Amino acid sequence: MNRESFFWMAQPIPFRAGETVASALEAAGILSFGPSPTGRPTRYFCGIGVCQCCLVRIDGRVTEACLTPAYSGARVERVETSDAEV
Amino acid sequence: MRSPFPPSVIVAGAGIVGASVAYFLATRGIRAELFDEDAPASQATGAADGAVSVGSKRPGPMMSAALAGLSLYRKLAHDGVFADLFKPRSTFIVAVSDTECDVLEAHCAALSGAGVQVTKLDRAMVAGRFSALSPEVKLAAEVHDDGHAIGYQLVHRLLTAAGATVRRHEKIERILVSGDGRSVRGVATASGDHLADAVVIAAGSGSARLLGLTDVLIPRKGQLLITERAPALNAGMPGSLMSGRYLLTKGSQKTGKPGPARGLALVIDPLRTGQFLIGGTREDHGDRRTNDIDAISQILTDAVVLVPQLANVRLLRTFAGVRTAVIDGMPIVGRIGDVENLFVATGFEGDGICLGPITGESIAALICGDTPSLDLGPFTPSRFHNLRIVE
Amino acid sequence: MPKCDLIVVGGGPAGMAAAIAAAEQGLSVELIEQRRALGGAFFRQPAEGADPIPKPASFKARWHRLSSPFSRTAIKIHYGCIFLGVDGDGLVLVDDRQAGEVRRLNARAVIIATGACEKVRPLPGWDDPGVSTVGGLQVMLKETGRPANGRILLAGNGPLLIAAAAQMARAGNPPVAIVEAGDPLRPGLAGLGLLLAPHLLTEAFGYLGTVYKTRIPWLRRARIEKIETHADGLQATVIRGNGDRSAFLVDRIGLHDGFRPNDMGLPADVDGRVASPVVIRAGDCCEVLGCVAAEADGAFAARKVMALLGLGRSPDKENRIPLRLRRVQASLARLFAPIAAPIDVPDHTMLCRCEGRTVGDLKRLLAGPDAKSGREVKLNGRFAMGECQGRFCAANVAELMTKLRPDAAPVVDMDLAGQRWPLRPVPIAAVIAGARSKTSKR
Repeated sequence: MNRESFFWMAQPIPFRAGETVASALEAAGILSFGPSPTGRPTRYFCGIGVCQCCLVRIDGRVTEACLTPAYSGARVERVETSDAEV
Repeated sequence: MRSPFPPSVIVAGAGIVGASVAYFLATRGIRAELFDEDAPASQATGAADGAVSVGSKRPGPMMSAALAGLSLYRKLAHDGVFADLFKPRSTFIVAVSDTECDVLEAHCAALSGAGVQVTKLDRAMVAGRFSALSPEVKLAAEVHDDGHAIGYQLVHRLLTAAGATVRRHEKIERILVSGDGRSVRGVATASGDHLADAVVIAAGSGSARLLGLTDVLIPRKGQLLITERAPALNAGMPGSLMSGRYLLTKGSQKTGKPGPARGLALVIDPLRTGQFLIGGTREDHGDRRTNDIDAISQILTDAVVLVPQLANVRLLRTFAGVRTAVIDGMPIVGRIGDVENLFVATGFEGDGICLGPITGESIAALICGDTPSLDLGPFTPSRFHNLRIVE
Repeated sequence: MPKCDLIVVGGGPAGMAAAIAAAEQGLSVELIEQRRALGGAFFRQPAEGADPIPKPASFKARWHRLSSPFSRTAIKIHYGCIFLGVDGDGLVLVDDRQAGEVRRLNARAVIIATGACEKVRPLPGWDDPGVSTVGGLQVMLKETGRPANGRILLAGNGPLLIAAAAQMARAGNPPVAIVEAGDPLRPGLAGLGLLLAPHLLTEAFGYLGTVYKTRIPWLRRARIEKIETHADGLQATVIRGNGDRSAFLVDRIGLHDGFRPNDMGLPADVDGRVASPVVIRAGDCCEVLGCVAAEADGAFAARKVMALLGLGRSPDKENRIPLRLRRVQASLARLFAPIAAPIDVPDHTMLCRCEGRTVGDLKRLLAGPDAKSGREVKLNGRFAMGECQGRFCAANVAELMTKLRPDAAPVVDMDLAGQRWPLRPVPIAAVIAGARSKTSKR
């Protein structure tokens, strides 16, 4: 079966049609999305888009992983990327 | 009969001015009792952009007061009260159009003439000093020795240091006058009469109804916003940003000419948290509780012109506050007329954070019969003939 | 700008019922939904590529009844759009994620049906990776057809724990244990009211049956004391009813201490006399009473809007939620009332996760004779000032403040909340794009 995939920190992550980025990352065993700007762990929490705990940077834009449908070739990174580190 | 050392003082208003009065009285051994219609820093102080700035002032009494105000901030930070709250840093006033460049050049000359250290930066110098600024910026003036501090944090620190308690949600209904009208006895609230040896009215727009100043004090709303954290962008900004247009907006209202229904003066403040506080409008109508998408969109559009990378940052919260402006553009500070123990300190419009502490120090001096370090002449309440204690 | 009659915020049971009821009466209706499909949390739909989890026939019938009218009516659904609030000029602001712009919509009335949010008590380790809400695990199961990987522990209080555990078991990964602070099996007539809802009883027995069959330990009168992250998983220390401590080494933990309305920062209700548009709430975001009540409330809200717009008679307030449904919810609450004593969490426990503020930070802020208000605690302590706007901490902070200062006026979560837009963070680029879009349309 030819599954599409996006990239989490350069690692290809397969996803099924209609799944969110959060669901695909969970299935791939990725439970931590890196530190938030206040140093707290970023990860899936409420599932309804309100807690802001699952923030990731998708193609440069900060957004909730649990609300964003996965799409082929998306570059998903930590909110605090190494480019941004001073 | 003037009492040289009144043991009790009531302060109406627990914003930056009232809290400063309480603090400086405490340093003189006097415990003040504060009354607030709501809670500390719930009005303009709590919605301030935090600028402690000489850069935006014109030479004259306001500039002198701002210089003294800044000097006091540095002292208070050094002595400990404002340690880690006051952040000294430059203000960068920027011009993107030829008109703005002209105004800015003139302003730089005026600031230098008043003894303020200013560096003019042309396009090339701007790129080197402030890389996040857009190439649209033609000229920037770096005003050194300005600073930044968050209003509600200052109030919290001042009240804690003064050991003061605040009577919250207690509105002052009227000032209690003695039989002969030459002194005040205290204040009346819903819970009864409260007596004191001196009363200070530092209640912002709330001062109007107590002192007959409804035609003199003008509530002037400002809308602002705060972004989420963007640590890298924030760390790359050496100071706060002010659009050269700021000078134009403030100016037109001071001359008494009817200004535009809504003026917009762009200020971008990088906060210590890594967030950005961006403001703001000047409007004489409108509910302080609301923000409108037009104003916020305009502020953000203008902000992104100056700092393009802000486009990728998320807006977190909008908010608004109401400044207390005065019809002739100057605060009202001093003893009230013939009344020996009633004082007023209000009408700071957008300069409350900068001038709050120096005003508090001055009022405390007056109460104790000392000469304040700041010349209060230009701010005298006696210039308003209708000012009176409303009974 | 074209003005529609009604904007409904939220495509869950309450929102769907409100939209249908209004559309069937001839109103022009637009519905704002943050996901790419209707259903909300309760009726979360499986993704295209997923194997749907088994559902009871009654559930499927209910969903069909709610969703099929949409194909007959002209309700315009804005998918992938997030409600940001109503601005000072009465414009409904929406973050259109697909277009990347903030849209301004104009309506005569708005029904807000944003559903419920879960309560999670703070305990050490609650904000570690691998720890989420039970509801969060459940909606992911519904969306993907797969339970979370590895050893799962569910803990907290309320019927959701049993339901989710059973659903995970049926999907192939039963949790290693359920830690429940209440004791629904204690003797007594607490659950008698459930007889009023036979479908619920059937469902409940079904779940209990699965839990029993798959031998999931249901530790009642128990609480998690702390969670610690180790190299080989998450270690949860549980205090049981008899005071003994047990350790569970697992891969995923779901926490849930009940539901609250998802109403932080929502604009106040407006009945239309002084300001426009009319704004009212429906469903769990108004009062958490479950899916069936939410549908009824949605329909009621639509009739109320019509009355406020002068298009119909005002509906009877008494008929808003059938009394029977209230009794059922009250019964459930009594049945699941927490019995295990709440734990006094250590000072280093995270309270406001977004801003990194702990229980100790709050205690230090409250020290001193001056009784600070909720707002002052928020501004000076930074509690509830982060990206989630207090959704997960404001209630906990308020509760702790009240507990620590029994002599001061009690503090409620609203004291730490604002009522300003945006309800959720929105990219500045989207605000600017929306303004440009608006001006170019003139």
